[in-house]
Amino acid sequence: MSGRTGGGTRGSVFGGGTGDRSAEAGPAASLAELNRRVSAARAEVEARGETFYPGASRVHLAAFPPKERWSDWVELDSRAWPERVERRYMLVPTTCFNCESACGLLAYVDRETLEVRKFEGNPEHPGSRGRNCAKGPATVTQITDPDRILTPLKRAGERGEGKWEPVGWDEALDDIAGRIRAAIDEDRHREIMYHVGRPGEDGFTERTLAAWGVDGHNSHTNICSSGARAGYHLWMGMDRPSPDHENARVILLVSSHLEAGHYFNPHAQRVMEGKKRGAKLIVFDTRLSNTATHADHWLSTYPGSEAAVLLAIANHLIRTGSYNAAFVERWWNWREYLEQNHPDEPVTFEAFRRVLGELYAEYTFDFAADESGVSAETLEAVAEVVAGAGTQLSTHNWRSAAAGNLGGWQVARALFLLNALLGAIAVPGGTYPNAWNKFVPRPIRMPPRHPKHWNELTWPGEYPLSLMEMSFLLPHLTREREGRLAVYFTRVYNPVWTNPDGFSWIEMLTDLERIGLHVALTPTWNETAFFADYVLPMGHSSERHDLTSYEQYDGLWIGFRQPVLRAARERLGESVASTRDVTPGEVWEENEFWIELTWRIDPDGSRGIREFFESRERPGEKMTVDEYYGWIFENSVPGLPEKAADEGRSPLEYMRRYGAYEIGRTVGPLYEERVPDGEMADASIDGAGRAYARTGPPASPNVVPMPPLDGDGEGRRRVGVEVDGVVRRGFPTPSGRLEFWSGTLAAWGWPELAVPGYVRSHVHRSKLGEEGMCLISTFRLPVQIHTRSANAKWLNEIAHTNPLWLHPRDAARIGVGTGDLVRVETRIGHFVVKAWVTEGIHPGVVACSHHMGRWKTGDGPRQNMATVALSHEGTGWGMSRKRGTGPFRSDDPDTARIWWTDVGVHQNMTFPVQPDPVSGAHCWHQAVRVRKAGRGDRYGDISVDTAKSREAYREWLARTRPAAQHSPDGTRRPHWLLRPVRPEREAFRLPMEGNGGP
Amino acid sequence: MEIFRALGTLIESPAAEHAQIAAALGLPAAPTAAEHARVVAQQRYPYASVYLGAEGMMGGEARDRIEGFRRALGLGRQSGVHREARVAADHLASLLGMLASMDEWCRRESDGARKALLAQARVTLVWEHLASWTGPYLASFEGCGVPFYQDWASLLGDSLARLGARMSFPDYLPVPLRAAPDPVDPRREGGSAFIGALLAPARTGVVLLRDDLLRLADETGLACRAGERRYVLHSFFAQSPGAALTWLAAHAEEWGCRMTAAAPAPIASWWSERATATAGLLRELVADVQTAPFDGQVASSDARNALPRAPSSVSSSADGR
Repeated sequence: MSGRTGGGTRGSVFGGGTGDRSAEAGPAASLAELNRRVSAARAEVEARGETFYPGASRVHLAAFPPKERWSDWVELDSRAWPERVERRYMLVPTTCFNCESACGLLAYVDRETLEVRKFEGNPEHPGSRGRNCAKGPATVTQITDPDRILTPLKRAGERGEGKWEPVGWDEALDDIAGRIRAAIDEDRHREIMYHVGRPGEDGFTERTLAAWGVDGHNSHTNICSSGARAGYHLWMGMDRPSPDHENARVILLVSSHLEAGHYFNPHAQRVMEGKKRGAKLIVFDTRLSNTATHADHWLSTYPGSEAAVLLAIANHLIRTGSYNAAFVERWWNWREYLEQNHPDEPVTFEAFRRVLGELYAEYTFDFAADESGVSAETLEAVAEVVAGAGTQLSTHNWRSAAAGNLGGWQVARALFLLNALLGAIAVPGGTYPNAWNKFVPRPIRMPPRHPKHWNELTWPGEYPLSLMEMSFLLPHLTREREGRLAVYFTRVYNPVWTNPDGFSWIEMLTDLERIGLHVALTPTWNETAFFADYVLPMGHSSERHDLTSYEQYDGLWIGFRQPVLRAARERLGESVASTRDVTPGEVWEENEFWIELTWRIDPDGSRGIREFFESRERPGEKMTVDEYYGWIFENSVPGLPEKAADEGRSPLEYMRRYGAYEIGRTVGPLYEERVPDGEMADASIDGAGRAYARTGPPASPNVVPMPPLDGDGEGRRRVGVEVDGVVRRGFPTPSGRLEFWSGTLAAWGWPELAVPGYVRSHVHRSKLGEEGMCLISTFRLPVQIHTRSANAKWLNEIAHTNPLWLHPRDAARIGVGTGDLVRVETRIGHFVVKAWVTEGIHPGVVACSHHMGRWKTGDGPRQNMATVALSHEGTGWGMSRKRGTGPFRSDDPDTARIWWTDVGVHQNMTFPVQPDPVSGAHCWHQAVRVRKAGRGDRYGDISVDTAKSREAYREWLARTRPAAQHSPDGTRRPHWLLRPVRPEREAFRLPMEGNGGP
Repeated sequence: MEIFRALGTLIESPAAEHAQIAAALGLPAAPTAAEHARVVAQQRYPYASVYLGAEGMMGGEARDRIEGFRRALGLGRQSGVHREARVAADHLASLLGMLASMDEWCRRESDGARKALLAQARVTLVWEHLASWTGPYLASFEGCGVPFYQDWASLLGDSLARLGARMSFPDYLPVPLRAAPDPVDPRREGGSAFIGALLAPARTGVVLLRDDLLRLADETGLACRAGERRYVLHSFFAQSPGAALTWLAAHAEEWGCRMTAAAPAPIASWWSERATATAGLLRELVADVQTAPFDGQVASSDARNALPRAPSSVSSSADGR
């Protein structure tokens, strides 16, 4: 058939439709008239703040109820099908608490019963944009869990014996407050510790600890992201990447972002949007993860070789001259590098380019291929793709390789080197620093004080450069340094199960000398709470207040987590004095708990603590959460009061209604911003181009953590760095530029690692010996929520076991097939697990998800915990499985339908602590031997010798370069490095011999 | 032009907002969810790829062309073209939303060259990606039994016609039609491929709805078994290939006439010729079936033998359509 139509065609040959309307509609003017009518109708509706067109989409499953009908939304009851039974809902926003992403949720609150029926996405949330992963909607299973802790409990027998009795909040609060008060009054501030797993909030608890004057913050971060974050921090002063995947030309992930990576949902949707726009996706992942299956280039690198590959790509960019030399010349601290390391070279950019080429010349594709097991041809092809990205290279590393390996922090250094070479930093499609895409509003009554005391149990002198607290060493530090904690809070944290070396944690928690009082603040029973003195039930995401803000695109937003039933009742005109009044049983929220506890610590205000939790509106009374957040929204969030006023609401009402607010987007390259003349009073510029001025810092309501940079010693503060003859904001690093060469590392004992480099991992093939294999345990199942999975029935049904990934070649050598039992032997013990033979894993490597193997010795959650027997003799510990899970009767008929028995194996207990001597991060990968299980081996068996744990601790400790020997200035830690609840400057000084220090 | 965004929205599943949009357009009261399900969601799939693709299914090359067009214009998710576009670029609501947005950009553009480019892109959108298939699609609403949708289809057809009257279209057919897959002759390619092709409008020039199959059963006395359209056709041919083919031939002839009034002339002609050719093929098959008694032993080129036997089970014939 010919494609020609026989001449140019005018649209008038349209036939005029299928009905008779064309005859009525008349000439083309009718179209204009109709168009005018529609436009006018739209303008009129939208002027009322209402929606003319339905939600984001009405096609597929992407529909959202329009916001003006969130107070009375009607849906058919799916359980009543086939009858059409209408249910009326209030839709109340909150923020998911089931990972760090803080995605928006909409709770569907039944208007008749005031029960939450379900959770869906909040389309008003700028980060998640109405989308959620499986974990968000599963919140409803957590709040209705029949095994939920509904009342405060107090230990009734020996610690860990499993005997409990209900206790009133007043009694518990008085006991805890009394012990904290005594510790403060007796100058035992170091004996108070708050150990947090999922923070899920920005600043409330740190503010509380600052108010108490206690350096007691202890995060889980050193078993999580601190390796990568140390790498980023040393480069740019800020410790998290904020990749703009959506606008990238090339996306390079050293992680499994599309299934479970950090900010999984907000990032995954933007990665896919980037791909739809034509971006190429490069994934480094030893396993054939879901992310790897979406990659244009999947590199199954041998664990620990990632930095070698990244440096080979960097070498390619340098060698071929395909990097952004103008950017490097303007923004790298290359002059400082040449002056300190190549004193014989002229301090010129040409000299630096030559030196740079020589520095990375050894990282050839052949070298990287030998290290990684990926062919040199493939690596070269990938390097070419990266070279073609221009400034649109978005990269990300969070845990993964950085959390697995000795020197893992260099993976992030090497990855960011690619961005720094291409100038792909804080520009569209590049990678931004987190602090420029994060907004932490200044709270009311911000404590101006810093703790006077340095806590050696969290910041020991051997790890002066540790990005975060050495939390996972706590059992060893308390044992070897006679450390004692009078009050130890674990808050949404489960170190016995989550951390390596769990039996050492049990030894510590059952030692009343080391742990005076253990208070578990948790929404869910967990292995650590079993060893508590108080178990205090805390709310899930729809039962608590928090503020969140995370770097998920080039913009700034805040999300408001709120108790949805409180908000619903207030919408109905009721007044709710305490969140406890609307939560199940006696569940509480932490904000009100901390306020109440603080008042009891300092009942008369004489300690100067209570004032930070005292109402400004009603002096002498407690601050309420309404006042706390109302003040923040009114005074610290630019644009929010005006936006709220447009709708006739107060800022707090606006946030309670919509749950999120976008302060701005397209922040862009702040480092290029010229420092205005108004900030340059009596300015001076030093020899390195750093600019100082006597003007105070510009008032900002954003108190996102930033490094405190030293002034010039003459009363001026740092304001920027001179580039191209202009003082620009630069980066918050000692040099004000991107620190290709870290003077901090060089000065604190690690000069050989001061530039991005490659550290051979502790699981490098050369270190494994015969039969040795590398075990990867850093990945997780995308539908699991760490500890809080135990009561999320939908998620447990989807995923409830963690077999050992084993390559067919290795399986043949060992003589096992899928489903056979294998014994995995680590440095300190072994565990027995089922094999899963798959070509989706690198030969010589095995992998086991860290999310499984929940256990209990007696009563406890029934959905996903095995019942086990613990044995203990001397330093020998054993765990054997009595039974798996199974169906049981409860108020929830679904619990009688549990069809699975397997809950996986708790491998972490058999891992020794392996702290990286620089970043302090635990190096998760394990050197193991895998054998066919023997006659006596049973599924789930675990055996550990904690004496070997201590040996391993000491071996890794011996790799450190302690501050006492390497500090260049007599301090414990570089002052500019980020640190939660930063003590006052004097506390940074190393203790003088014999005086015990400040 | 906002009118196109509004008209596109109305083909999505009904929401409360549809009432105010319909009122602004002077259309009857918005349909119920059940009417939308029966008329649109289960029968008249509003995706270009269904009408232009080789299999009559969503996605594939037909959608890729539209996505490529969007990419060539540099349109990303945030461009505000239409909220649906990120889900399926070839959805009618997405295309009409895009048309409305392009109109606005064109008006706002001050650079003469860019304005001309945008105007040309708009013509391309209408010619290549809308007019190429909206003719048969809108024509399929005739007799759908819901006044709202009949009027909506009529108004959209009129509006596109009036818009087209201001445009100069190229002197060649849209690419999807030039690249349209060939019809399938069961005597050469087998019965299964033939039945699949009957459900691909681009091959036949005919839109064959579930309602049409019910009419076929009603008018021929054949039993209409419950199942997907492919399964139902299998069943008809197994019962009486002659009766089924005869009805389908008449249906195709009807479409050959119907199409002349529902699209720009060259495009309408293309669809009409396709339908007429399909009718001719079906008539040939009817003749073959009548002259060669079916005994199971005839040559494989025989039409009757080429048609499928009775389906062995519902599940084996389900094709998801």
